[in-house]
Amino acid sequence: MSPKSLKLLLPPVSPAASGTLYEQLVAGLKQAIGDGRLTPGEALPSFRQLAEEMLVSVITVKRAYEELEREEIIYRRQGLGTFVAEGGANRSREAKLEKARKLLNEAAREAAEAGLKPSEIRSLFLETLND
Amino acid sequence: MNTQPAIEISGLEKRYPKFTLGPLNLSVPKGSIYGLIGPNGAGKTTLIDLIFGMGAPHAGTIKVCGFDHTTDEVALKNHAGYFGPDLSYVVWGDVGRAIRFVKGFRPTWDDAYCQHLLETLGIATSEKIATLSFGGRTKLGLLLALAWKPQVLILDEPTTGLDAHSKQAVFSELLAIVRDEERTVLISSHQLSDLERFTDHVGILHKGRLLAEGATAELVERHMQVEFTCERTVLENVPGLTIAEHNENRCRAILDTDLCSLEILEQHGACEVRSQPLTLEELFLVLTK
Repeated sequence: MSPKSLKLLLPPVSPAASGTLYEQLVAGLKQAIGDGRLTPGEALPSFRQLAEEMLVSVITVKRAYEELEREEIIYRRQGLGTFVAEGGANRSREAKLEKARKLLNEAAREAAEAGLKPSEIRSLFLETLND
Repeated sequence: MNTQPAIEISGLEKRYPKFTLGPLNLSVPKGSIYGLIGPNGAGKTTLIDLIFGMGAPHAGTIKVCGFDHTTDEVALKNHAGYFGPDLSYVVWGDVGRAIRFVKGFRPTWDDAYCQHLLETLGIATSEKIATLSFGGRTKLGLLLALAWKPQVLILDEPTTGLDAHSKQAVFSELLAIVRDEERTVLISSHQLSDLERFTDHVGILHKGRLLAEGATAELVERHMQVEFTCERTVLENVPGLTIAEHNENRCRAILDTDLCSLEILEQHGACEVRSQPLTLEELFLVLTK
């Protein structure tokens, strides 16, 4: 079975979004794998095909795939293609969690720099959650 | 796998009374989209003209698909398609006749693909070439270069005058062309944001020389914009630092992190150093200033 098109499954790769094009692609794929829209064992398009679908250079997709491969979220089989790894969903969620932790740290630092006390930062976080 | 570059230029030199191109070494990997960028008068068109045998170089060699541009000129032209902004097809009357004329020279012409291009680019065979808009003529030129499926496509300013839809259609076709890893595209353009997005490699040509070259994303990410305070004279000769603007002791520059680092900058006496990423366009503006 040929891999399904990811064109509308992934968020559009845009210079107006944050992060480089390849980071956006990595984030989009992690999201789709993490929430199960792409399932373990499922074939991904070749990077040349995905480049055509997302309208980005081949090298951009290649880098994104290589990063996801390093993180063992996807794997490549010579001559067969690229597939979602068993446990890829968990690792995607872990990666997301790691990123969330980093962003929260950054937010805490900004808040501290704005002169907020730890207790105030805590209530700021809680407030954000309740919104 | 055949790893011979699609285009290989070595030691190329062409001298004019007021301008010298080269010595130039440039290699375009097979299966890639390569963006050639440079300010007006940098030598982009001169280079492309030389590839197609318009004018003889003073030194060096050009090979396309392994064919030498002088000794294998016919074979080269059977493998390389050309588009340039000055091509005029008005004498053929309408689009259909221009297509029939060019098709006659090209045994590999693909009618179905030609039809597809007519549709995606939005031109009709019945249209009069004389009354086509500038963008319309560009589309026709591109169609004639693409439809015979050459191994290498060399496009000089292919998106000038195209609206956003047509530009996207063109880049979409170019990505489809390199899909089989066999065919290659060399594109010269001033639309740097497009090139940043669609090209695998870029070369920055300035005053006839290649200033910087590499995988597009790597080249862009390797550099950053830096701001600092420092005496200008101290930093003028730091390798990897290109000063963009300087006012009293405030300085804005671009840093090549392969050659220099923020630490080295500080060791040279730069204070209050701030850095941020840049775009291909911003890199281009400073390097070719």
